[in-house]
Amino acid sequence: MERKKAAVQDIDRTIYDIKDKVNAAYQVEGGLTPEIVSEISDQKNDPDWMREFRQKSLKIYNSMENPNWGPSLEGLNMDNIVTYIRPNTPMRGNWAQVPEDIKNTFERLGIPQAEQKSLAGVGAQYDSEVVYHNVREEVKRQGVVYTDMESAIHDPTYGPMVREHFMKLVPPTDHKFVALHGAVWSGGSFVYVPPHVKVEIPLQSYFRLNAPGAGQFEHTLIILGEGADLHFIEGCSAPKYNVANLHAGCVELYVAKNARLRYSTIENWSKNMYNLNTKRALVEEGGTIEWVSGSFGSHVSYLYPMSILKGENSRMEFTGITFAGKGQNLDTGAKVVHAAPHTYSNINTKSISKDGGVCTYRSSVEVLPQAYGCRSAVNCESLMLDDISRSDTIPVMDIRNDDVEIGHEAKIGRISDEAIFYLMSRGISEEDAKAMIVTGFAEPIAKELPVEYAVEMNNLIKLEMEGAIG
Amino acid sequence: MIMDLALKQINTLPTPTWNRLGINYRNLETKDLSFAPYSGEPLSALPDGVSVSVLPFPKPELETGMGESAEDFVRSNQTYGLSLRVAAGVKASEPVKLDFCLNGENPTLADAVDITAEENSELTVVMSYRSEGDFAQFHGGLTRLYAAKGAVIHLVQVQLLGESCTHFDNVGAFAEEGGKIDVIQAEVGGKTALSGVKTRLDGEKSSLVMDTIYFGDGSRSIDMNYVAEHYGRKTNSEIHVTGALLHESEKTFRGTIDFKRGSKRAVGHESEYNLLFSPKVRNKTAPLILCAEEDVDGRHGASTGKIGENTLFYLMSRGLSELEAKKLLIEAQFRPVTDRIPDESLRTAVMEYVQGRLSGLESMG
Repeated sequence: MERKKAAVQDIDRTIYDIKDKVNAAYQVEGGLTPEIVSEISDQKNDPDWMREFRQKSLKIYNSMENPNWGPSLEGLNMDNIVTYIRPNTPMRGNWAQVPEDIKNTFERLGIPQAEQKSLAGVGAQYDSEVVYHNVREEVKRQGVVYTDMESAIHDPTYGPMVREHFMKLVPPTDHKFVALHGAVWSGGSFVYVPPHVKVEIPLQSYFRLNAPGAGQFEHTLIILGEGADLHFIEGCSAPKYNVANLHAGCVELYVAKNARLRYSTIENWSKNMYNLNTKRALVEEGGTIEWVSGSFGSHVSYLYPMSILKGENSRMEFTGITFAGKGQNLDTGAKVVHAAPHTYSNINTKSISKDGGVCTYRSSVEVLPQAYGCRSAVNCESLMLDDISRSDTIPVMDIRNDDVEIGHEAKIGRISDEAIFYLMSRGISEEDAKAMIVTGFAEPIAKELPVEYAVEMNNLIKLEMEGAIG
Repeated sequence: MIMDLALKQINTLPTPTWNRLGINYRNLETKDLSFAPYSGEPLSALPDGVSVSVLPFPKPELETGMGESAEDFVRSNQTYGLSLRVAAGVKASEPVKLDFCLNGENPTLADAVDITAEENSELTVVMSYRSEGDFAQFHGGLTRLYAAKGAVIHLVQVQLLGESCTHFDNVGAFAEEGGKIDVIQAEVGGKTALSGVKTRLDGEKSSLVMDTIYFGDGSRSIDMNYVAEHYGRKTNSEIHVTGALLHESEKTFRGTIDFKRGSKRAVGHESEYNLLFSPKVRNKTAPLILCAEEDVDGRHGASTGKIGENTLFYLMSRGLSELEAKKLLIEAQFRPVTDRIPDESLRTAVMEYVQGRLSGLESMG
């Protein structure tokens, strides 16, 4: 008799895959030339420094090669990618004024409901521009600035702050696709939380890419003052097309002394998306960065949030889950640099691969010579649900002093028979035991998310238990 | 003929990662080497059932841990070669010993040794490399192992070379159904020491057990690349590395367990334990698990750090100085591996070599 298998269903993408008619007010030609970059500058009324920065980034982009490691980028042809598409609406602060088609898209994704329930502020980006931005009055009264990047650049108060920080933490020389970002970026969010201000409920940005063959290059810059506290959530999605789309955003996070920032992401791009996003945090003395990351969508992902623990006693926690199904090659993980004494990092990741999907966990933990008294713990666990999928673990540790405690544990395999046996010995049926184990596998991540997102994540991983796994 | 050694991209990580970490591969350069046939006789005796073979190695295409360029270098400059074969069903009672000594007469050595164990046989081969005198020396070795169905090969490689020596051990191994490969490496000498071991667990229930100790003091550099490829069902690999780094020494360890599709019910475990004694050491580690098969169990654990304060306190409360306590703990760390070396004189030699290096130290940092 054929051994029945439990199946983990594919992500139900119905609501994500609904396409709007492309109704752009303006878009550049496909491809990448100095003229196109200049056209973007014109459209965005860039200050001179930004015009120069974009052109310099383009030169860097042209001088660099694609990475010689990681998933193949052969299907990505920049000549076919439209780097700037402005939707046919200005940015609104009133939801009722957002055009119907765009509003419907975000409403299907549950963004207004989330805002009503528990969010302090929402930014919603559609293709290349932010179309809606709203911040609760009480948050504004605390002195918190949450606005789109273009407004921030032109703001007389915050413009100089943006210029001082923009792509200083992630310079265009870092890698090819961040150079591309420097040349064609548009949209994204700027957040400033003044010293000692605790924002009680999360801020959220949602990025929706609608146009086929387009790229989305939003820039997120968050600056926390000393002792400030913020939870920022970003969500991303796009409908599926039969041409490659590209997401090459950039996130720069500055966490001052004793501040704490939690940055949560649910990435649910469609399966034609190349997701080459770069995220980095600089953490000062006593500060904390917490990353919570769920990677479910995209055709190919390169995603490794990096934390630079610059100040003594600074901390980093990374909690991530990756789910790769058919046609997906998701290369995810984390990077941390311990650059100061008594810094602490903890990386905890899970991955599930099925139906020929490829999950790769890739990480680096670096401890610099001056960073004595450091501790780091890495724990990664991968679950394979069939033998046509792949799951690779590629961690690197580079330790340059002796006063450290570094631990690493990795585990790959199927659900353990012992765990099933244990639960069955407690009176639970075999099927229920297996269902509990697979569901429980994602639990540590789900519990780190606000409840609306935990529900979304659980919906993304629907389990259909029937007989044995494996 | 005087020549330079320039090996590019050896000890390559099976799947590369960020180039900036400098761990994807290693280059090796040494100037002004000359090679002449090894004039000593490293082989003392052959136990019954073991012969110096005239038959070709069963898997000429076998891949090695360090890669082709290191293989080609040894073959082109070979100063000593040997092919051993143990007959089917024979379990050799004594180890085959190959004892190489580098000195003024033999300042360089490039040895190629093939070991074939026929069906259900068992053989132990102990290879040791020592130095006399302190002048620039070089050793490059190529060792290939073939364990036929049910055969067992124990390979012990002990490297006790002098402080200015450049050394590499390049090993490729193949195991048929039920074949067992058991490797002990002691990489404790030399100025620059590289080691690569790649094992193909081809047949069902074949296995690899690999234990390595390393010891870095002064400005020594140690570079390792171990790969266990699981092709057969129910194959098993164990890779365990233990070592200590002092002064300004550095070590790179790449360890890969690679579960190929079809290696159902395979188990691969890898562990690494590093003790660090100086703020100037550098310890790089890349433990990979590559997996194309669901029904496997792959695990890796690593821990890096100082000796625990409680342990040190305990020893010091027994009257030892801090330095003596640390020396004792390094020796203790190596014991479980050195105790498995089947030749008593060599076992003693390894511990004496380590003790000798430790006794001269006035500090670990």
